[in-house]
Amino acid sequence: MSTMAVARLELRRLAVRPLAWALAALTIAWLAWTFILGLGQFLGAQVKLAAVADAPGFTDLVAIPLLAELAKLAFLVVPLMTMTQLAGERRGGTLALLASTGLSPRHIVIGKYLAVLVWLGLWLLATVAMPLVVGAESTADWGKLASATLGTALLLATLAAIGIACSAATSFPAIAAAMALIVTLILWTIDRGAQAAGVTGGFLEWLTMATHLQNLLRGLVVTSDLVWFALAIALSLALAIRRLGADRERQ
Amino acid sequence: MSAAPLLNVEGVSRRRAGRAAVVDVSFSLNAGEVMGLLGVNGAGKSTSLAMLAGALRPDAGSIRLRGEDFVAQPGLARQLIGWLPENAPSWPELSVEEHLVAFSRLRGANRPAARRAADAIVERLRLGDLRRRLAGVLSQGQRQRLGLACALVHEPALIILDEPANALDPVQVGELRRLIRERAAAGAAVILSTHVLAEVLAVCDRVAVLHEGRLRHDAPLRGDEGAAALEATFFAIATGAAA
Repeated sequence: MSTMAVARLELRRLAVRPLAWALAALTIAWLAWTFILGLGQFLGAQVKLAAVADAPGFTDLVAIPLLAELAKLAFLVVPLMTMTQLAGERRGGTLALLASTGLSPRHIVIGKYLAVLVWLGLWLLATVAMPLVVGAESTADWGKLASATLGTALLLATLAAIGIACSAATSFPAIAAAMALIVTLILWTIDRGAQAAGVTGGFLEWLTMATHLQNLLRGLVVTSDLVWFALAIALSLALAIRRLGADRERQ
Repeated sequence: MSAAPLLNVEGVSRRRAGRAAVVDVSFSLNAGEVMGLLGVNGAGKSTSLAMLAGALRPDAGSIRLRGEDFVAQPGLARQLIGWLPENAPSWPELSVEEHLVAFSRLRGANRPAARRAADAIVERLRLGDLRRRLAGVLSQGQRQRLGLACALVHEPALIILDEPANALDPVQVGELRRLIRERAAAGAAVILSTHVLAEVLAVCDRVAVLHEGRLRHDAPLRGDEGAAALEATFFAIATGAAA
């Protein structure tokens, strides 16, 4: 009940914030342009593709690249969406006011996280609607598209949790956004050194976010990938809750 | 035999920004009582009130609300406490009405009950003209009234007001004083923090003076004689003459 009250309040604030609308409009326009370009190229190459056995289809050449483009945009968009969630509240004095309503740090963090998830869910839905509409009239690989959508949804949920944790760590929204971007980039490329040295597999590769997303984008739903995303989300939210709880001690 | 106090504060201390902001403060407050908390800037008033509102945890001591340990259960604040912090923070992108409904819902009311509570406080504080206006475009005085409405919307048993008369015009100050007396008559306990003596003299039954984090004076206020004595006591404490 309390968590939902926080989520409703936060959704209302997101709905009237120009940043949320501007980000949604600009990114969906960009993704629509990317989709139209991809679709045009796919239609132009259909004659050649028809001659190739097991040639990639609409899902591989149009739908999944579109979701990969969304994932790239999310690196920037999600930190911008989450940066004010707690840092802005703390700076404006409203975080203490929220705490004085008897809400626990867990209620505040989870409520805000849910609100961001709703926004990101709608963003993902608007993007997936493009290949869904075209796919309904062609021969889309629905299983692969579902796996890729799941992977993108988990990526967005993880980035949101990281963004909330970074927002909990500071009173400056810009610093929170920068921190979230850096943490995400580190998680994305942490095994780059090992790869350069020719080492594959192992803990560093497991730790890398890209490893887990790429499997899902290829249509592979593996339990260890799902566990990785769940752990990353749980750890980030736990850190945010802990930091918010410390506010009552440290301020 | 008197009833148990609504609020019981025992030996509360808190360090803030590397210094002792509140030191070993103890007092109790009964339902229907209005206590003025006086002190010069930096005396520890806002830190004390933030602890009483549940926004800060004391380093030491206990705070009991209706006999329950408030430090261990900050969730008690949900129904029992209404807090107007200094500078009345608000969300600039939300309207006055949205604030009131949100605060009511955060404290557990369902949508119809939250709407009724918002309507009642809008009428009581005469906020009808501002109802649909965004908090970001309100004047400082209007924001102060919004903060007051948010603190009172759930009809709390303990009302904590930190400099509530900031930026209010004389008519609004008079209205605020009537409101405080009205809530006290309805059984709420009120703590009013200010550094304006006249404010305390106008509405409080009792006065506490904080100086350098310590409670240096806590006594009932009785008529004009009490007012003169309070002024002398306050200046003696504030200037160090009563050390």
